[in-house]
Amino acid sequence: MNLTAKSDNKLLIHKNMNPVTELKNSIDIILTPQFYTFVQEDLDLKFTYQAKQIAPSIFDDYLDNTNDYQYYVYKCDNLWCFLAYNINEIDKFLESVGIEKHRVSKIYFTQQLADQLTEPLFIDERSLLKTIDGVVTIVPRYLMDSTVEYQPFNSSSFSLKSGGVTMGSSLDSFISLKESLLLGTIFLILGAIFIVEGNRVKNSMNKQVIELENLLAKHSKYSTSFARESILSKYRPIDKKERAKRNAIKEISKLLSKKSHLKLLEINKNKVSASITTDNQTINKQVKEHAKAKLFKTSGSSLDVKVEKTL
Amino acid sequence: MNLLTLQRYKNELILLLTLLFAIGAFFYKFSANSEVQKNKTIIEKKIDEINTIEKYKKQWASKGVANKIKIFKTIVSASKIKKFSKQSSKVTLSYKNLSARELNKIINKLLNLPIQIINLKIKESSKNQFTMEFTCKW
Repeated sequence: MNLTAKSDNKLLIHKNMNPVTELKNSIDIILTPQFYTFVQEDLDLKFTYQAKQIAPSIFDDYLDNTNDYQYYVYKCDNLWCFLAYNINEIDKFLESVGIEKHRVSKIYFTQQLADQLTEPLFIDERSLLKTIDGVVTIVPRYLMDSTVEYQPFNSSSFSLKSGGVTMGSSLDSFISLKESLLLGTIFLILGAIFIVEGNRVKNSMNKQVIELENLLAKHSKYSTSFARESILSKYRPIDKKERAKRNAIKEISKLLSKKSHLKLLEINKNKVSASITTDNQTINKQVKEHAKAKLFKTSGSSLDVKVEKTL
Repeated sequence: MNLLTLQRYKNELILLLTLLFAIGAFFYKFSANSEVQKNKTIIEKKIDEINTIEKYKKQWASKGVANKIKIFKTIVSASKIKKFSKQSSKVTLSYKNLSARELNKIINKLLNLPIQIINLKIKESSKNQFTMEFTCKW
C-alpha cells in the first residue's frame, strides 16, 4: 500500500464536460476558473500560513459567505496568489459527472498553469481557456478568431509543480495531511522516546544483576532463598538481642552519677535489670523519669530505684 | 476496503498508525518499568540478604574472637580474677574487688567485642567495690 502515491491521470474539470465513465483508478483534477475565485495581492508577508490566515478577508468583497469556502494560497513571483473554492460545490459537480470523490487524489487549479498556458485551448464548443494578464480565464469562443482551430486541453503537456490540495483534506478528512504528518511525527517521536526509555530502564538493572551474580559466585551456598532465610533466622535474633543488651547497658550507665550509684546490674536471656541507689528524692525522681523516657519499667521505694527492660 | 478508500483516509490512517505505535511504545515502557521494578525488588532483596548474612557472620561468627577474649585475663590484675573458664567458643569470667574504673574498663571491652552475652551480673560488694560475673559465647 502506497499512501502517498500520485496518480498520473489528470482530468480538466469544467461545467460542460461529459460524464466520466469507467473510472477505476484515482485521478488528479484540474479545476477551471468556473470552480474557483482568484485574487492576486501584493502583501508584505513572509510565510504561507500567514497568507492563509488572512485569505477569507481577501475575498470579502468577492464572495458572499467566505465561511463556505476553502482557500489555497501560493507565492507567485513577488505576489501572493489566493484561490477560494467551495469543496461541497465541487464535490456535487464531480458526483454529477460520475466522479466519486474518493477517486480524487489531488485538486489543482488551472491558474497554476498560467505560465505554461501561452496559447488558448479548446474546452468545449463554446469556450476556451486563455491566460489574460497572468490570469487563466474562460473565454467565450465567439470572442476569438473563428477560423483558428484550437488545440484541446491535454494535461500531459503541462507540468504541475508541487502544490494542489487533497480532496481528503478539503472534504472527508477530519485532519489535513500537514496536520496529520505533524501529529504523526510527534507520535513517532513520543513512541521512540518511550522505547528508548523502556530499554534504558531495562538496562538499568544490569548493574544489580552483575552485583548479584558476583555475590552468588563468591557465596554459592547462599543461592537459594531457603539457605539465606535459614542463616538469617539464626543470626537476626542474635544481632537484635545483643544490640538491645548493649544499648540497655549504655542507657543504664547514663542514669548513674555521683548522686546515683549502681548496686546491681543483671543481664540474662530475656531481661536487663539494674538497682540504683540515689542520694535524695529529687535525684530518685529524676532517675525514674529518665528511665521511663528510655522505656524502662521502674519500681522501688525510698531512695532505691529498680529499672528493667525486657529484651 | 480497497486501496482508494485507504488513500482517501490516509491522513487519519497516518495518525492512527503513529498513534498506535506511540501507545504500543508506551505500554512497552510501562511493562518494562513494572518488570524492572518487580525484578529490582527481588534482586535488591537477594543482595541485601547476602550482604546482611556476611555482615552477621563477620560480626557474630568472627574467627579472631577467641584470641581477643584473652584480654579479660590481663585487663585487671590477676588477683582480681576469681574465675576464668574457656570452653570451645564459650567463656565464663568472674571478678572481685573491682574499682569503678576497672569495672568501666571491662564493660567497655565487653560491649565492643562481637560476642554474645549469655548472662552478666555486676554487684556492689562494698562502697566503690564491685564483683562481676559474665558468660559469653561467639
